Amino acid sequence: MNTQQISAVDKGLIDVRDMGVVFGANDNEVVAVQDVSLNVQPGEFVSLIGPSGCGKSTILSIVAGFMAPTTGEARLDDKPITKPGSDRGVVFQQYSLFPWLTVRKNVEFGLKMAGVDAGKRDVTARSLLDLAGLLSFADHYPDQLSGGMKQRIGIIRALATSPQVLLMDEPFGALDTQTRVVMQEILTNIWQQFRISVLFITHDIEESIFLSDRIYVMTARPGRIKAEIKVPLPRPRTAEMTTTPEFMALVQKLKGLIREESLAAMEPELKSRGLAGFGMNVGPKGVGEIF
Amino acid sequence: MFNRERMQKARISLVDPQAEYQATVTTVETESVKAPAVQATVIPQPAPEVEIGALKMKPLLERITRDQVITALLACLSIGALFLFWYLGTKYRLEFYIRFKNVPTPYEVFRQAVEVGASNKFLVNVVYSVRRILLGFAIAIAVGVPLGLVIGKYRRVSDLFMPAVEILRPIPAIAWVPMSIMLWPNNESAIVFITFIGAFFPILLNTVHGVHSMDGVLIRAGRCLGAGEVRLFWNVILPGSLPHIFTGLAVGMGVAWVSLIAAEMISGQFGVGYFTWEAYSLVNYPAIVLGMITIGVLGLVCSGIIRLCGILMMPWLAYAPGSKK
Repeated sequence: MNTQQISAVDKGLIDVRDMGVVFGANDNEVVAVQDVSLNVQPGEFVSLIGPSGCGKSTILSIVAGFMAPTTGEARLDDKPITKPGSDRGVVFQQYSLFPWLTVRKNVEFGLKMAGVDAGKRDVTARSLLDLAGLLSFADHYPDQLSGGMKQRIGIIRALATSPQVLLMDEPFGALDTQTRVVMQEILTNIWQQFRISVLFITHDIEESIFLSDRIYVMTARPGRIKAEIKVPLPRPRTAEMTTTPEFMALVQKLKGLIREESLAAMEPELKSRGLAGFGMNVGPKGVGEIF
Repeated sequence: MFNRERMQKARISLVDPQAEYQATVTTVETESVKAPAVQATVIPQPAPEVEIGALKMKPLLERITRDQVITALLACLSIGALFLFWYLGTKYRLEFYIRFKNVPTPYEVFRQAVEVGASNKFLVNVVYSVRRILLGFAIAIAVGVPLGLVIGKYRRVSDLFMPAVEILRPIPAIAWVPMSIMLWPNNESAIVFITFIGAFFPILLNTVHGVHSMDGVLIRAGRCLGAGEVRLFWNVILPGSLPHIFTGLAVGMGVAWVSLIAAEMISGQFGVGYFTWEAYSLVNYPAIVLGMITIGVLGLVCSGIIRLCGILMMPWLAYAPGSKK
């Protein structure tokens, strides 16, 4: 683990340049992502936040190697990304544990694919499970666990192969609020230990501030980078920080940015349906005031 | 129904603190109006939780055995009713559109069983049938499962194979008998081929369906954990479609027996189907029924083995959502 921590400092640079994604063809073309450039420095925790449908998951899919962009490119440590690989750990929004494998075998999966022998796999898996506080569930099947447990295993499974970066696509989206808050603390602790680059997709403002060093705010479709915000809060982060004035100020700032975009995303439907009847003033920028 | 004891115990433990609470309410009520409302939310909570926790362990064993006893009783009732109908029908020689006039009685069949059990001939027939089933079924698995996985995974492979499959599939295995006799050099391989045909299509199509109904996120997860194409098949797609494959095996086994018996009746030498048909030609009615029962029991054993393999190979299904209905 020591060698990995040292090497992680200079590896894991994600670089997305002038990326554009167009879905469909001819008349049905939808521009999902337009001129997006962003980067994650080695060891940095970066969030990508935006209204639903803004293409943030699309960007993550490209960095993960599941799909290719229409224009531009994504690079990892100056090598173009073409296909999925174990140098990028991915944590999905849906629970993606293999239901036919026990918790321990799930964590070992990546190592098994890499040809690591059974003894070493077992040691790594157990130490990771211990880290996640789930060692006593090593021989359970995923269907026996709660959502929060499954997602913790999803994270350590992605970390097992010592990837240079961790890509997380709204990993806590399916969890209830209480579990979510706890999971954020666990994640920030885990990240503190591994110090690898993280690209984190979310639409939860507090979550992105609590976890990140830097936040990219995206516009509504077609998704572009609207703002880049540094989070100057000290590390390690604790739950108490979420009530400090600095934190609140960041929340307000981001809320303003996101709200504009959410309204812009809803503008066509608001206009055509005339939501004025619901006590909303529909102006040129969408809904103006709520009584 | 079988939980009654447990429920009563639970109810008692739930009611008791409630009674206490009732008592406190009445005493406090005289002093102030606000107080009981606060106490009401606090008091009933801790006591029942402990009680229920302790209760959970004990009746589990009772419940399982009781549950199993009921299952066994119903199974006996189900088979017993068949025998009763048969017994009464043959005893009173019932005739109401269907005629029991020539149907042998259970006792006659039993005597026949004892008689053929004494010689090797009957056992040889059984061994032949079982061997043909195992061979045909094994080939159907060996061809059907890998082909199904590849067809399910790659659209172009599906485009190539599925039109031929869709034409061949509706042809019942029995219709293959004449062609099979022409195709294969000897009787034995022809019968195994027909058994194979019967089992093949259900196995193939269920495997394809298994791949299609797999959650795509699992395949993506496998990919980013470093699984190449071959390992992805072996470690993700195969286990992921295993529940559907086993459905295919269960259906395929049933069709394989149907096909085998038909093939043995038409073209066979040896085999339970041949035994049954021969008995009909020789006007040995008890042997017909014995043959039928043997086929039924062998089919039951075979599907039982498949189900057992399924439970052993897929232990996780016991915890899958919806499995505890």
